[in-house]
Amino acid sequence: MEQASGKIHIKAYRFDPANPDQAGFQSYTVPTAEPLSVMALMAEIHALDETFACRTSTCFKGQCGSCLVRVNGRDALGCVTMVQPGETVTLEPHSKYRVVRDLVVDFSQPQEG
Amino acid sequence: MGTVRLETEVLVVGGGAAGLRAALAAAEAGCRVLLLNKGPVARSGITLTAAGGMQAPLHPEDSCELFLADTLRCGYEIADKSLAWTLATEAAGEVREMERYGVKFVRDERGELALGRFPGQSQPRNIFVKGGGVGLAAALHAACKRQGNIRILDDFFVTGLLQAAPPDARTVAGVMGINLRSGEQTMIRARSVVLATGGCQQLWAVNDCPSDAVGDGLIHAYRAGAELVDMEMVLFYPSVIVWPPSLKGAFVHYEFLAEAILDGNVYDKDGQAVLPKPLPVRDQAMLLMHRAIEQGRSGEHGGLYWYVGDSAKGIDVVRKKLDLAQYNYLKAHGVDPATDKIEVAPGAHYLMGGISIDSNGETGIAGLFATPECAGNVDGANRLAGSGIAATQVFGARAGRAASRWASGNALLELDATSLAEETERIRCRLSSAGSATNRATAADLPLLRRRLQETVQLYAGVSRNQAGLDRLREEVGQVRLALQGKQVADRKSFNQALMDLLQLETLCEVAELVVGSALLREESRGHHYRSDFPQTRERWLCHTSVVRDGEKARFAAKPL
Ligand SMILES: Cc1cc2nc3c(=O)[nH]c(=O)nc-3n(C[C@H](O)[C@H](O)[C@H](O)COP(=O)(O)OP(=O)(O)OC[C@H]3O[C@@H](n4cnc5c(N)ncnc54)[C@H](O)[C@@H]3O)c2cc1C
Ligand code: FES
Repeated sequence: MEQASGKIHIKAYRFDPANPDQAGFQSYTVPTAEPLSVMALMAEIHALDETFACRTSTCFKGQCGSCLVRVNGRDALGCVTMVQPGETVTLEPHSKYRVVRDLVVDFSQPQEG
Repeated sequence: MGTVRLETEVLVVGGGAAGLRAALAAAEAGCRVLLLNKGPVARSGITLTAAGGMQAPLHPEDSCELFLADTLRCGYEIADKSLAWTLATEAAGEVREMERYGVKFVRDERGELALGRFPGQSQPRNIFVKGGGVGLAAALHAACKRQGNIRILDDFFVTGLLQAAPPDARTVAGVMGINLRSGEQTMIRARSVVLATGGCQQLWAVNDCPSDAVGDGLIHAYRAGAELVDMEMVLFYPSVIVWPPSLKGAFVHYEFLAEAILDGNVYDKDGQAVLPKPLPVRDQAMLLMHRAIEQGRSGEHGGLYWYVGDSAKGIDVVRKKLDLAQYNYLKAHGVDPATDKIEVAPGAHYLMGGISIDSNGETGIAGLFATPECAGNVDGANRLAGSGIAATQVFGARAGRAASRWASGNALLELDATSLAEETERIRCRLSSAGSATNRATAADLPLLRRRLQETVQLYAGVSRNQAGLDRLREEVGQVRLALQGKQVADRKSFNQALMDLLQLETLCEVAELVVGSALLREESRGHHYRSDFPQTRERWLCHTSVVRDGEKARFAAKPL
């Protein structure tokens, strides 16, 4: 069912506090013929690469903020931000909170500086 | 992975509506409380997805007796009467407590709590939390933070219960878990433990719950020797979205299809209406939809089409009714619920069975308490709308108080060395240090195995079940477990999501075995448990199914009401 053109390209921020020097971006390609929310996309990346960490719990309403993330340089709710097949998207941790790993942040701790 | 030690008086596992309420009750009774949640509190768990309806007999013509009678009748007479009575008599009091904690309810023009009437209620009995489940969790979370006696640890994954050393065997003395932020395996001693981990609906391929709902607490209790009841009783919501992929798991109200509301229907691929009017109750609706799907009337992605676009009420009424966060979410995904046909199928929504409790949340294991949704037998074979949230508050409060009484009368116990070693090893053996991997799970393994498990459960233990299918399912579960045997993931300190995936899949397999065994045992159809080989409701099954661990085997039995 996947069309040849049906791909989303992602540049995802990677960070592991055990190796902070190696922080940087990694490229992924998710095959899909349908648009995906950034949240669904993150889950797809995790399924391709189990070392990539993201939050997966959702309220299905765009209300709780479990999915807060930075998309193409803007803080956003990942569950209501759509990406179309063929697009390239940059994903980073939400700028307001401290990063735990990759795109997972600690909501109880504001980012310093 | 080093082992860290912590201590507390009352330990609550799970920070949804139930766990937060239990923590508040225990703290108000004077105990030091530690609450652990595997995600961030108020940003994970089933509670957030709740629409926010809550049953309480507040209408002048309503009563606790009517509430009880409705619960028993709609639960097809196998709810535990004393639990159902506790729910009926204490729900209204809990509403006042919730307001004290800062939960806001929708009020009418006169400032009274607005009451709605849902199927099965003989009087209007549902009030509505402002902001739905998200509003509820946020308010209770804030109340816990104001309480000086409650400490909350987010991103803390409890992996099992720890037993006390002899002579206090069969007493729970703490838990083992992983601090997901630091990766440390952590041992926590507690005088009493309350399980409030929610349901296990992720076991079904079609479900409307978040990823957390894998049944951890059920398996923790089961491994510790507690009895589980009615594990075959899972409520299937008729209209869970199966397509497009980004909306999978969200639901649209089947209730809105009623003549009095939007007067829509669910249609097959040829445009034939599937549901009769007046709209049948949930379990009948989901069976009719299931039959239509079985007859090959489903659409491209296995579902039927929920549609209100041609409502005689007119588009303005439809749009007004659907002006809710949950429908605006669909719009953000490019689906207009007022005009589009939305592909839906019955999906797992609520676990009516679970850990067997008495009205104080006691589990029969000393020091261990539990509260719905992970505790069962409050509802029977079907649940009335609004009982889910009510049960988290009534039994959460009771379990919290009982746990604090236990904690005041009992000291911290020494941990049983064997239990501790086993629990430590069960997790450690899943971690490989780089290079040493012999059976390392590759990226594709776990999602595929999980998918396979979910799809077979949906097929054979979904809406329609029979002996041959359940036997087949048991074999499949065995195969998935076999494939998981010895599987390891890399040992990484911070947020080892792959380890969570592996442990949660193992838990799902264990839950599946309990669901299968219970569903096989109940040779009848009742409420949401439909056996195509036993389509009748049978008098002799006016009882619970029960399962307890007997060594490595599960012992299933019928249990009188
Ligand atoms: C779509 C939907 C709509 C609903 N609408 C309504 C409604 O309108 N009215 C109503 O009455 N009921 C409704 N329900 C049911 C009701 O919302 C739930 O039964 C209730 O919220 C469950 O609360 P809980 O605290 O038991 O579970 P949860 O909210 O799931 O909380 C359990 C918490 O425990 C955590 N946890 C689990 N395992 C572990 C572990 N191993 N270690 C640490 N933490 C753990 C989870 O992460 C989670 O945060 C609805 C359910 C669904 C799915
Ligand atoms: S998942 Fe709740 S707001 Fe996005």
